[in-house]
Amino acid sequence: MIEITDIHKRYGSVEAVRGVSFAVGPGEIVGLLGPNGAGKTTILKILTGYHYPDAGSARIAGENVTERPRHVKSHLGYLPENAPLYGELTVAEYLRFLAEARGVPREAITARCSDAAVACGVTEVLHRRIATLSKGYRQRTGLAQAMLHDPDILILDEPTSGLDPNQIVEMRRLIRSLGQEKTVILSSHILQEVEAVCDRVLILHQGRIAAAGTAEQISVEVAGGGRWRITLIVPGSTEETVPTLFSSLPGCTAVEEVRREPLGGRTRVSAEVALGDSGGQDPGEVIFDWACHQGYKLVEAAPVQRRLEELFTRLTGEAP
Amino acid sequence: MRRTLTLARKEFIAMFRTPVAYLVIALFLTVASLWFFGVHQFLGRNVASLRAYFAVVPLLFVVLLPALTMRSWAEERSSGTAELLLTLPFSELQLVAGKFLGGFALVCVMLIPTLLVPLSVAPLGRFDPGPIIGQYLGTVLLAAAGLAVGQCASAVSRNQISAFLSAAALLMVLTAFHVVNAVVPLPPTVAATVNQISFLYHFSGFERGVIDSRAVIYFLVVVGASLGWTTHVLAMRRWR
Repeated sequence: MIEITDIHKRYGSVEAVRGVSFAVGPGEIVGLLGPNGAGKTTILKILTGYHYPDAGSARIAGENVTERPRHVKSHLGYLPENAPLYGELTVAEYLRFLAEARGVPREAITARCSDAAVACGVTEVLHRRIATLSKGYRQRTGLAQAMLHDPDILILDEPTSGLDPNQIVEMRRLIRSLGQEKTVILSSHILQEVEAVCDRVLILHQGRIAAAGTAEQISVEVAGGGRWRITLIVPGSTEETVPTLFSSLPGCTAVEEVRREPLGGRTRVSAEVALGDSGGQDPGEVIFDWACHQGYKLVEAAPVQRRLEELFTRLTGEAP
Repeated sequence: MRRTLTLARKEFIAMFRTPVAYLVIALFLTVASLWFFGVHQFLGRNVASLRAYFAVVPLLFVVLLPALTMRSWAEERSSGTAELLLTLPFSELQLVAGKFLGGFALVCVMLIPTLLVPLSVAPLGRFDPGPIIGQYLGTVLLAAAGLAVGQCASAVSRNQISAFLSAAALLMVLTAFHVVNAVVPLPPTVAATVNQISFLYHFSGFERGVIDSRAVIYFLVVVGASLGWTTHVLAMRRWR
């Protein structure tokens, strides 16, 4: 549906995007995640044909954005950052103008406008001037505009920015339901949002893709064998053995959050352990074998999914 | 064409939602009538001609047309709405033409009340309808040229104020370019070229009621060149 190949874009002396490639299939919801200035908006602007790339190609539904811009644009619904709208028009006039501009058949315009208004919850403000609307209603009007011609692809730049918590929940629900039929690309610098809404995440940093995949995949990719929560029952009181307890575990690179409980002659020890590359072997198996070999009773061994926050900080060296 | 008209209608509606359109129309009608009846003393002259009424139009347009066009692109850019407009399935030319037609429709609406002047003075003397048609045609062409130049200025400006000032300056120069000949003695061929650039030089024929095809072509060329340049500016900005 969307295919981006090695695109570069430079604004004056700033290289906003340097060699980004990715593809998005039909019905996927993909999130572009990154700090401000990572190149998210630039990529979206290139996809919508607002800016053309300096190098590389962007294809939508098989057509190059720069070669057949009008054809490509007819597949798209776009909500630019901050939902810019014509403040002097009413919501109804605005939607009508966009439906006509998007080439919705004349007889279908009224129905489409009211469907979009219902879906996005702007029916009660249809006849108010946009300039008098709250941020939440403006954002929803922007989304109504993006979906009213029933496009295959929705491109949403920071769709929840400036909304209050209830509105954010509402907007995410709306995006998820739209994503059941449509391909959606959205950008965000809010990690929970991308985790909650998207099937797949691209983490951008300084104009490049720093990591891509589902939240779990990225977690594994960044942390190697991943992190495991391990609980053991070991014989004896282990005051001195704990620091070295996990050192014999193959591939163990870090031990955190150690907890000890005496159990009448034995000790229950739990810890979060980071495992490096286990050479293709299932890390769970490695842990089990190690525990048996050491004569420990393995009570729990569960992979800990890393929060995207942590990965983000690790990948970009910046707080999100 | 349908999309162009869609945009033209939106522009037209939006202009009437701001005080600017009303102010421009009110100023135009008031100043032109005051000039004609007050300063020029039409009723005391015993001449059945509206020439003086139309003589003041070019100067009024220098100030008023930029007020109508200053928003067209500068405002779209500064408020971010250009991003949506330029990602709609329109060609640049359709966008430019739509904005132009929206402004042009507003000027036509503005000219309708001026018809009261010829209608009300018609019974006072023997007016020849020919020159009046010429005068209106000239006014419409002059407005088209001014709107096109104004839109071009707005496309290259970052905000409305600079769009207004640059359009007004440009129109001032274009309108009165023939004045150069009155100040600097130039060789006849150069002087003739200087005259050819001036709005007023071409408008003066219409003002007298003469429809000169060269003047018609001149104004159409100005419209075409300005809109063409605006289209080019918008298209190039995608590569910026």
